[in-house]
Amino acid sequence: MSALFATIVDTKALAETVAAALVAGVGITIVFSLAILGASLFGEARRDGRGGAAVAAAGLALVALGACGAAIVVGIVVMISK
Amino acid sequence: MDADVTLVIVVGTALAFDFTNGFHDTANVVATSISTRAMAPRIAIAYAALLNFAGAFISLEVAATVADDVVEASAITPTVVFAGLIGAIAWNLATWYYGLPSSSSHALLGGVVGSTLAAVGTSAVLADGVFGKILIPAVVAPIVAFVVGALAIVCAYRIVGRLRPGSVNRGYRLGQVASGGMLALAHGTNDAQKTMGVITLALVANGTLGADEGVPFWVVVSAASAIALGTYSGGWRIIRTMGTRIIKMDAAQGFSAQGAGAAVILASSHFGFPLSTTQVISGGVMGAGAGKRVSAVRWGVAGNIVAAWLLTFPAAAAVGAATYGVTRIFGTGAVGPVIVATVALGLVALAFARRARQGAPVPVG
Repeated sequence: MSALFATIVDTKALAETVAAALVAGVGITIVFSLAILGASLFGEARRDGRGGAAVAAAGLALVALGACGAAIVVGIVVMISK
Repeated sequence: MDADVTLVIVVGTALAFDFTNGFHDTANVVATSISTRAMAPRIAIAYAALLNFAGAFISLEVAATVADDVVEASAITPTVVFAGLIGAIAWNLATWYYGLPSSSSHALLGGVVGSTLAAVGTSAVLADGVFGKILIPAVVAPIVAFVVGALAIVCAYRIVGRLRPGSVNRGYRLGQVASGGMLALAHGTNDAQKTMGVITLALVANGTLGADEGVPFWVVVSAASAIALGTYSGGWRIIRTMGTRIIKMDAAQGFSAQGAGAAVILASSHFGFPLSTTQVISGGVMGAGAGKRVSAVRWGVAGNIVAAWLLTFPAAAAVGAATYGVTRIFGTGAVGPVIVATVALGLVALAFARRARQGAPVPVG
């Protein structure tokens, strides 16, 4: 049965797709949520006059946004290279 | 002369399918953005239409193998393609009528398999392709998207759960502009290619185009325009189902469903195991709902959608086969396609008129 399945379905592509979908799908949400967290913490820290915390929060937001931007570029490259 | 008339009808029918594809699948791209108020409805639809148009030009890898994986290429004639397209259009309009999201690609392949069965028989249908390219992915896509959507929203709530809802919602709404844009681009690239492939196939079969020539520019422009126009027309009934009837979603859920959906679609494209955009987004929406609370998903609506997915291939195949049979009653010339196309246009007009009389589309706000 499993041999028949393997002849019909490209099981390697299927496994890679499931793994990449899990990593990319959950990953992009985590990274974007971290950007929101960073931006929100930055606002609070600045209001409270905590300079160090504000810089750390801004750093988190910028790095996470950068990662989201990179994910968009990778997505467009995938589309172009199909 | 007959062959040229048939070719013109096939091209027109392919563009009509492309229009219904955009019209039907608008919901995939814009429903979550509209329901979370990330974008105003008309702006969301215009944005999706523009990016669908652009997406059609991004990759010009010829999609002439649209049906080659599921039927013998030698079996494909303009009349077979025509009957298959009618099967796909009929299923797209039937599911639009009842507001159900379903895969336009599976409808197209179902229609072509049905018309091929009627024209040649089972020997021309590639069972491995039907299972490997349609049935197995149809099971995998919603499950993967459901799991990814559910995990994504659980992670998102853990990260932003203690923050003020106002700024969190604004953030996710902004994110939806990007994730919705990626979905629209991916949709334009994938689905407009299928129509370009079908038209190119018909041009080659008619001898108008050499087998080794590329897709003519007018085919690219017309397919891109048809899918963009269809998208701009907006299938409001499916938008309502996707945006509000499966779950009542917040901005974080909308982003999780869309972002996870875009990532799943692109990952599947990259690894050569393409999944249906519609099934991925619908699965993602259900997952984003269930990840928050299992009872948040209206499982009755979800069940109807899954039933539509199961019926897509056989129903489109049945209509494709019946259309081929009716067309052949009038011989092998252009008379059959002309009569069938005229009747189909009349039925489409009737369906739109009935729906227009039955009430307003999705409430917008």
